[in-house]
Amino acid sequence: MSVEDAIGDEERKKNRYHFDRHAPDYRDRAEEITRELHAQCPVAWTDTHGGHWVASGNREVFEIARSAEYISNDHDVKGERRGYQGISIPAPQRGRGNRGGFLEMDPPEQRHYRQALNPYLSPAAINRWIPWIDEVVRACLDEKIEEGRIDFVEDLANVVPAVFTLAMMGIPIKDWRTYSEPAHAVMYTPLTSPDIMRVGQLHMAMQQELIRRLAEIRENPRPGLVNGLINAEINGENPPDEELRGVLGLLIGGGFDTTTALTAHAIEWLSENPAERDRLSRERDTLLDSATEEFLRFYAPVVGNGRTISADCELAGTQFKEGDRLWVSWAMANRDPAAFDNPDQIDLAREGNRHNSFGLGIHRCIGSNVARTVFKRMLLQVFDRMPDYVCDPEGTVHYETISVINGMRFLPATFTPGPRLGPGLAETLETLQQVCDEQRLAEPVTVQKARAKVAD
Amino acid sequence: MKVKVDQARCQGHTLCAMNAPEIFELDDVDGHASAVSEDVPAGHESHVINAVRSCPEQAIFVEDRS
Ligand code: SF4
Repeated sequence: MSVEDAIGDEERKKNRYHFDRHAPDYRDRAEEITRELHAQCPVAWTDTHGGHWVASGNREVFEIARSAEYISNDHDVKGERRGYQGISIPAPQRGRGNRGGFLEMDPPEQRHYRQALNPYLSPAAINRWIPWIDEVVRACLDEKIEEGRIDFVEDLANVVPAVFTLAMMGIPIKDWRTYSEPAHAVMYTPLTSPDIMRVGQLHMAMQQELIRRLAEIRENPRPGLVNGLINAEINGENPPDEELRGVLGLLIGGGFDTTTALTAHAIEWLSENPAERDRLSRERDTLLDSATEEFLRFYAPVVGNGRTISADCELAGTQFKEGDRLWVSWAMANRDPAAFDNPDQIDLAREGNRHNSFGLGIHRCIGSNVARTVFKRMLLQVFDRMPDYVCDPEGTVHYETISVINGMRFLPATFTPGPRLGPGLAETLETLQQVCDEQRLAEPVTVQKARAKVAD
Repeated sequence: MKVKVDQARCQGHTLCAMNAPEIFELDDVDGHASAVSEDVPAGHESHVINAVRSCPEQAIFVEDRS
């Protein structure tokens, strides 16, 4: 770097803020840090983790995240292109050899993958599953309803998204635990934890299992996202297994812990605000949609994503250089007073809620319809069957850091016991597997349009 | 009032259809939105405005002729 460049660099990075997204401090003081960043530098430079930009302002995030011509998601694990490091800052040790599916790709490849998967995940595709999802929720609640106590994370919010994601993929749903523990642990275990190696191994084992399933479905095709991927045309060819592994990991990572985190936070807040809970339950027909968006805004499960600047440019008033790393904070953009009145308050009826929790631009969360639907179906049955639940703050455990997901490990609660309505979870999953196979529910909506039929 | 969804900007967040289900339809395959008709029927203007204000991609454009 020449002297001139160095001076230019100083000038470019004059808005500095010490921001460490992996530190517990960020979780503990998130609102304060967010306010400081908004007030001082909605696009800031931080020296942490090799040095990177942090975009927190709503307008700035909007402009930057949608500038596909200047930002890249590419994770060039083999050093074949420009060596970009994908969406994690710093790039995770365990992930160095793996690309995180199409979330760590740029168009046109990225677009081809999404086109292959959209017909499984569109609103019309997900609506077909509602009676099926309701049965999973019913069984989860039945397991606990007579006892009068439940852990909303372990017994409900961990289970339903996992079971449903596997069903859509075309993987046997009875295996949900094989995937759910590692997918959850990888999110709640801080990078600095002594447990990180063990969790990494668990995760590897899960990857192996996925590879086995991939081979199996290749041999004996069965409908689902995995089959859709095997037959996808990416730049005119079927994708190689090594790319598919990353994509399957992405589907698990995206499908499991995110909806869990959203649901747990909403249930916790509603326990602390029982009048609001009763109102939401009563006025669900008009309030449930806006309340869901508001919980998404307030408790953005994926707090942000990394990007790499792919060409020198000026965006949102900042000079970026090719190769700069950038953290785009969806969670902070959701709390910008310039975009939301009373951003740190939950308003179940909020209008014009242009939140960023599913990201913006071409990488918009492809599972957003899954998340919304599963969240709503869980909440409704909790309202109907455990209307007086009270969470126990003593037993509640939030993630120590919010590096990737702002999630919860435990959320125990008590409620007035009620009667069971049907068989328990294991038996229900057997029935639902049959329903799924016989009615070919995991086919894309282009092939199978009928709504799931589940006998009561 | 006239309404249009810019297809190049729309990413299928579905908030428009949530706010004004009579006005916007979502594609079965990719969930991207389009206006059922360019002309907003009388009485639906406020829903359309809410949709405009909710669209994360700012992909909905209205023209008020009245
Ligand atoms: S809200 Fe905006 S981005 Fe989403 S579907 Fe409607 S027009 Fe498209």
